[in-house]
Amino acid sequence: MNDGKKSRRRRSSSLIYQEPPESIEHMSDQSALPNVNADWVNAKGAWAIHVICIIGLKLLFDVIPGVSQETSWTLVNIVYMFSSYLMFHWVRGVPFEFNAGAYDNLNLWEQIDNGDQYTPAKKFLLSVPIVLFLLSTHYTHYDLTYFTINVLAVLGVVIPKLPSSHRMRVNLFSGGPEDR
Amino acid sequence: MDLQDVQSWLNDVLREASVQFHKVPGSAIFLRYVKSSYQNDPVRSAVELFLVLFAIRYLAAPAYSTQKKSYVTLSEEACHLSSGIDVLLTSLKEVDELVDEWTPEPLVAPQTTFEEAENEKRPVIVGPTGPKSKLSNGRTVANLASYNFYNLVSNETLKEKAIQVLRTYGVGPCSPPGFYGTQDVHIKTEADIAAHLGTPACIVYAQAFSTISSVISAFSKRGDIIVADRAVNYAIRKGIQISRSTIRWYEHNDLQDLQRVLERVVTEQAKKPLTRRFIITEGLFENVGDMIDLPKIIAFGRQYKFRLILDETWSFGVLGRTGRGITEHQNVDAAEVDMIVGSLAGPLCAGGGFCAGSDSIVEHQRISASAYTFSAALPAMLATTASEILSMLQTSPEMLTTTRENIKTMWAQLDPRSDWVHCTSSADNPIMILAFKSDLIASKKLGVADQEQLFQEVVDETLANGVLITRLKSMPRAINATSKDVGWELQPALKVCVTSGLSKKEIERAGITIRHAITKIVNKRR
Repeated sequence: MNDGKKSRRRRSSSLIYQEPPESIEHMSDQSALPNVNADWVNAKGAWAIHVICIIGLKLLFDVIPGVSQETSWTLVNIVYMFSSYLMFHWVRGVPFEFNAGAYDNLNLWEQIDNGDQYTPAKKFLLSVPIVLFLLSTHYTHYDLTYFTINVLAVLGVVIPKLPSSHRMRVNLFSGGPEDR
Repeated sequence: MDLQDVQSWLNDVLREASVQFHKVPGSAIFLRYVKSSYQNDPVRSAVELFLVLFAIRYLAAPAYSTQKKSYVTLSEEACHLSSGIDVLLTSLKEVDELVDEWTPEPLVAPQTTFEEAENEKRPVIVGPTGPKSKLSNGRTVANLASYNFYNLVSNETLKEKAIQVLRTYGVGPCSPPGFYGTQDVHIKTEADIAAHLGTPACIVYAQAFSTISSVISAFSKRGDIIVADRAVNYAIRKGIQISRSTIRWYEHNDLQDLQRVLERVVTEQAKKPLTRRFIITEGLFENVGDMIDLPKIIAFGRQYKFRLILDETWSFGVLGRTGRGITEHQNVDAAEVDMIVGSLAGPLCAGGGFCAGSDSIVEHQRISASAYTFSAALPAMLATTASEILSMLQTSPEMLTTTRENIKTMWAQLDPRSDWVHCTSSADNPIMILAFKSDLIASKKLGVADQEQLFQEVVDETLANGVLITRLKSMPRAINATSKDVGWELQPALKVCVTSGLSKKEIERAGITIRHAITKIVNKRR
């Protein structure tokens, strides 16, 4: 019992730390109600909306006068990557009062499918930024500046999606860990 | 020659493959894409190729769970049999075997010999309870084991009024207050309590025990910080547990330690997002019986920006000139305390509990305190009884003084005179908690179980001499609790509840009986 307590402690000194496993109270609160915050990614139309949003963004930047094709593709790429990073990896917890705050330490990506890896939803959500990157580099005609911006953006959303970065936190961005 | 054959064959194959590839729809686009993307820059192509390969690997990987398994996996052979029906049969057989093997732990642990002996001798009261109760063995004993401090149990006017209300309102409202459970009498009782205490508002709950648990969990959530006394009662502990808040304990009634803990919380949280913070303590402690220094704790709350949740379950109706509790006793304005939680069931002999505070504090609970929203409202007769008793406290506060004199009489018989026990309760507390002196425990090497055994023998001995008292049993240990979870151990003690229903002589005699019983039992043990 005591060992279990110890392993839940986080080391605040290290730059990178892993979110500790849930306590029994956390687990019972998490399973009290279905997590509507994360379940929608498996719902009908949730996949199509990514494609629709990307097409919409492209149209939007195309109609702005004076924006070249290169800039337009890069902007689409950046906006999609940034907003998906914000949504899946930055914001933590659940906006509803359903689970007594039991998901407060987990971002949306970690909540999807209860933290399972390589599920269909996660495979789709990882392929979208990669395909979008390949498209946008192609249409920016491989200008080095655009290429660098785009590759950094895609790495920014692909790396947090890797199974090995599951529950990993960088102290620099997210502040020190909390005692429970 | 062989080498040339191979080369020409390879060329043929490659040519054929390229022809076939060009026939595939979309191959021209793919080739154009590859050609244009190369653009004499192998690094970029390598990056893109790497990304594509990575995506393919990710898409091909099988799903797995990161959660710990909570089930038994079937053995290897059951899973790897070639024929489908065999797999099913073997695994079904194995499941049956596993089910047969499983023996559930009993829901209730078997009785220990100590519990068995206690249950066998447990006194049973026949007929109405009161200062003198008739037991099932036919004897009448002085009852010093119930919270009947002012003998309101035997008050005929209260009984008659309750019967009248019963005839007009029926037994219970059978509905939570938020639906149709609130009756005019509840609103009157709430107003009466608020007026009596001097707070802006009050909310009445149907059960005393669940009041404090609900109040805590209505305000404090996961991530919020609670600083609580180590000796707080079981209901507070349950409330802290279901609130999921972060808890910091301070040593029992140690103001220096409280200040140290508050300072630590403030420095720790300085750079973190703001959370709600609470101090939780009791007016008179259920487990120890002593009193807090309320003005100091309020000052700390102000200084370090903590709200105060004060459990007055055992001090409301007991302390102060008119029984307003510790606020009146220590000359504090009740509105200075953020939440005063009290019981109408104990000293007041009615039923239910209440929380008094500002309007916003009370209104918040009406929709978010679980015991208020989910359980049926207080029966009307209990609400009117509580109101009635409050007006009695206001109009004739001398009923409190009779009990206080009896407390003094009992103290005089026990605390200074007994060589073996000392009273940990405050001098104004009608619940006297008598624990063994530490030098006795040291000299006789008494463990917790030994002390409990001795006190049980004392209870039996005093009952044989016509006085009913009890042991302190207010902290049931949780199943599988470790010492870290408990944090504070209840010291075994006797519990003597003084009542005004007995005369000074009778109290004196009961005190002598208890003292002699303790002496007899302790001397018997070598």
